[in-house]
Amino acid sequence: MSSKGIFRLLFFGRLRDISHNIDENQAIKDEIRSIKDLTSWLDAKDPVLGKELVKPFVLVSVNKNIVKNDYIISEGDEVAFLPPVTGG
Amino acid sequence: MSPLKVEVRIQSNDFDIEMEIENLRLDLANIGAIVTFCGLVREFECNEAGRNLDVLSKLILEHYPGMTEKCIEDIVKEAANKWNIEGVIVVHRVGTLNPNEKIVFVGVASAHRLEAFRAAEFIMDYLKVHATLWKKIVINGEQKWIEPKSSDHIKFQSWSD
Repeated sequence: MSSKGIFRLLFFGRLRDISHNIDENQAIKDEIRSIKDLTSWLDAKDPVLGKELVKPFVLVSVNKNIVKNDYIISEGDEVAFLPPVTGG
Repeated sequence: MSPLKVEVRIQSNDFDIEMEIENLRLDLANIGAIVTFCGLVREFECNEAGRNLDVLSKLILEHYPGMTEKCIEDIVKEAANKWNIEGVIVVHRVGTLNPNEKIVFVGVASAHRLEAFRAAEFIMDYLKVHATLWKKIVINGEQKWIEPKSSDHIKFQSWSD
């Protein structure tokens, strides 16, 4: 079963600087269903980015809530990769 | 008990500490203490040991609109669960800042000082490790993302010990 649902993919901080070749609008497909799938797909597409995404303290949010790797992406979701924060 | 007054703002403009304090006091009854914290842009980039390294020319702050505000509101709610506080204002600046400029303001109002002291410290410690904000420094024309400090994580952990 395949879905044509589109989701938004965002990167922040240092991750944005190295993800310019990744489109913001992505389609859910057989190889991209969960966050884990998405990370693997990005790693295959760009190993430099992929290596940064699995570093400690990098978090993933969906619709501005932190999620785990097994989260299944839905159409219209806003997925964001968040490097370790340094505010204050 | 009156409901907690909460205001969280992310803005590029500077803020006026006196005005924020007046804003915090407004409509709050039975306030015996206001504790405030203001974070500034350091002129030098320091290493973990606190040694000055380089003169900083700019600080660039980025956030995740919508999520950053939500993160900070959640932090404030958690503080309100721990201590009896009446009002909180958090202002965090984003964009390009110069050395000595104000970055962040936390103001906490409560009936007694101890609660406000504790809550203000907790909110800042939590914000440092949980709010979606990222700092980049410009030194000698080169931009560099700041690494998170382990000391900030250790300080935050101390609240759960």
